[in-house]
Amino acid sequence: MPRAWIVVLGFLLAGLGGLGAYFFPVLQTAGSASSGPGQITALNPVSAPTEPFTVLLLGSDDDSKFPPDRLNTQSMILVRVDPATKQATLLSIPRDLWVPIPGQGAGKISTAYNLGGPDGAIKAVETNFNVHVDDYVWIGLNGLVKLIDKLGGVNLQVTNPVMDDFYPADLNSAGDPYGYYRVAVLPGATHMDGVRALQYVRSRHGDLRGDFARSERQQQLLLAIKAQGSHLSVADLPTLAGALNGEVKTSISIDRLRALMSIANDFNTKNVHRIVLLPPYTSEGWADGQSVVFPNWPQILPLVHQTFP
Amino acid sequence: MKRWLIATGLVVAMLAFGIGIYHTAAALKGDHKVIRRPTAITASPLPGTMYVVQGGAVYRFHHGSFSQVTADDGWMQPAATPSGQLVAVKREENYSDLYLLSTSGRQVAQLTHNSSPGSVESNHWAFYPRLSPDGQTLFYAFDPKDPYNDYRVDLAIFASRVNTAAGPVAWTQPNQFTGGDVTPVPLKDGGLIYTKYSIDDQSQVHSQVWIQRRAGSVGVALTTADLGCSQPAISPDEKSVAMVCNRGSGQSAELDVASFDAASLTLGPPTTLVSSELVASPAFAPDGKTIAFLAPARPGGGFQLWTANPSVAGSVRDITTDLGLDSTSAPVWLAG
Repeated sequence: MPRAWIVVLGFLLAGLGGLGAYFFPVLQTAGSASSGPGQITALNPVSAPTEPFTVLLLGSDDDSKFPPDRLNTQSMILVRVDPATKQATLLSIPRDLWVPIPGQGAGKISTAYNLGGPDGAIKAVETNFNVHVDDYVWIGLNGLVKLIDKLGGVNLQVTNPVMDDFYPADLNSAGDPYGYYRVAVLPGATHMDGVRALQYVRSRHGDLRGDFARSERQQQLLLAIKAQGSHLSVADLPTLAGALNGEVKTSISIDRLRALMSIANDFNTKNVHRIVLLPPYTSEGWADGQSVVFPNWPQILPLVHQTFP
Repeated sequence: MKRWLIATGLVVAMLAFGIGIYHTAAALKGDHKVIRRPTAITASPLPGTMYVVQGGAVYRFHHGSFSQVTADDGWMQPAATPSGQLVAVKREENYSDLYLLSTSGRQVAQLTHNSSPGSVESNHWAFYPRLSPDGQTLFYAFDPKDPYNDYRVDLAIFASRVNTAAGPVAWTQPNQFTGGDVTPVPLKDGGLIYTKYSIDDQSQVHSQVWIQRRAGSVGVALTTADLGCSQPAISPDEKSVAMVCNRGSGQSAELDVASFDAASLTLGPPTTLVSSELVASPAFAPDGKTIAFLAPARPGGGFQLWTANPSVAGSVRDITTDLGLDSTSAPVWLAG
C-alpha cells in the first residue's frame, strides 16, 4: 500500500476514534436501554419519517418503595404523530382505568407494566383502545429530573397554584421512602428545573381534579420539553445519553431518534391536540375494593379512532 | 532517524486530528445560554431604582447595574414600604415567612412565624406581600388549614395591621382545591385587587382578576373567565391595570393593559402590549408611563427584564438578555 494511503488511513482512523469517543455514551445507552441493537449509528444519514406513527409514553414512580422490576405506571400517554400534516395528538390514559389486562383479568391499567413489562403495557393499551403502538418510551422519576436539568430546565405556565402538603419525599431518599414534604408551585409563566417540574406534574392532593389535573400538567410538560429539545442537535445526544443511562427504556433506536429529532421543529404547539379522558369519557367508582376509573367505551373509542387508527 | 521523526510527527498529528474531531463534535451542541449573575452584567439604564430576584437573592438595579441586596438564601417577592424599606418572602422547604428589610438587605423584623415544630403539614406559607398605599396594612397570601380536610391547601389573602396587636384578617374566600387566591394589590380607597382561580364543570382552570371593597365581601370579577387574566398591577394614578392573560392557553401568556374605573368597579377592554410570549409579573414605573415585566428572550430560556409603553403597542424593549430572574417576583420599581 502506498505510504500516502497509510497516512490518509491513519488520519481517518484517528477521526473515527475521536467521533467514537464523543458518541460513546450514546452507544452505551443504546446497548443498555433500548431493545433495539446498539450499533454504531450516530453519524449515518437518516431520512425523516413520513408515515404517521404512535408512541406510548410510560412514567413510573421508581423510588425505593418499589422493587425495580415491580413498577406500576403512574403516567401513560399515547402520542400520535403525523409528519405529513404536522399534527400530533396526546391522549392521557388515566392510571386507575379499570380494564381487562391481557392474561391477567380485570385491573387498573397502571398495573399492566408491572405484570408484563413494556410489552404488557402496550398490549393492554392496544387491546382496550383498539390502536396499534409502534414504539414505547419509559422513564422513571430520576430520569425525568435529569432529562429536564440536562435540557437546561423548561419554561411553562403554571395554570393555578399547585399546593400539596403530602408530596412524597422519595426522590433519592436514603431514609424513609414514605416521608413527605410540602410543595407550593406558584402560578404564572415560570422556568423550572427538573425537581420543580416533577413536583408540578406529580402533585395531585390539593387539586379538585386529582389525577386528571396531573394528566393535563404532564401533557403541558411534554410540550415544554419538546420546545426545549428543539434547541438540541445530534451533538447533544452523548450528554443526554450519559445522564439518562439506565433511567430510560425505549424501543426507539438511535437512528430512529435522530430521524424524529429532525422533524421535531415542524410541530407547532398549536397543532398538538391534547386529550384527557375526563367525564363523560370516564367515571369514578370502586372495583375489587379499590378506587378506580371506569371507561365509557362508547364515548372513548370514537374519540380515539378519530386520531389513532 | 529522520524517518522515525517523520513517523512520530505523523502519529502526533493524527492524535491531534482525532482530538480535534472530538471537540468539533462537541462544539456542534445546541445553543445552551449560560445564565449570569446580575452583578456580572450591565444593562440599559432605567429611571429610578428597581428590585428584582434571581436565585433566592434580591438585587437592586440602578443606573444600569445590579448590586446584590440579600444573600442567596430563599429570598423572593420583595415589595416596597412607603417608608423606603422592603418586605420580602424568605422561603424554606416547608414554610415561608415575611421579613421587613432595610434597602441594604439587613433584617429589621420578622413579620410572620410560619414554621411548626410539629408535623410537616402544620407549617404555613406566606407569599406575595404588599403594603397598602398608606403603609398601615400588610396584605399577603397565606394558607389557613381546613380542619375537615388535610389535603386542602388553598391560599387566601390575609391582611395584618402594622404596629398593632390585632391578628391577621382573612380578606378572601378562595374556591376550594384550586390553589387559592394570590397576588394582592391594595388600593388607595382600602379595596383590594387580586387573582382568583376557579375550576369549571368541564375541569378547566380559570384565573380572573377580582376586586373586593372590604374584608370578607364577595367581591366582583374584573375580567371574564375566558380571558384567563392574573397578576394584576395598578398604575400609580389607579386608572390602569396591567395584567397577564393566557386566553386559555397553557403555553403562552400575553401582557394586557386596561383602563380601571374604581367607582363602577369595571375594567375597560384590554389592549394587548405583548403577545405570544410567556409574560410574567408586570409592574408600573413610578410615573406610570412604562410597564416592566419578565419574559424569556428565547423559548426555554431564563426570564429577562423587559419594558413596554402602555400607550404604544409593540414598544417593547429588552433590558437584560442573559439572566435567570424569578418570574414569580414582580419587579419593584421606585422613584429616585
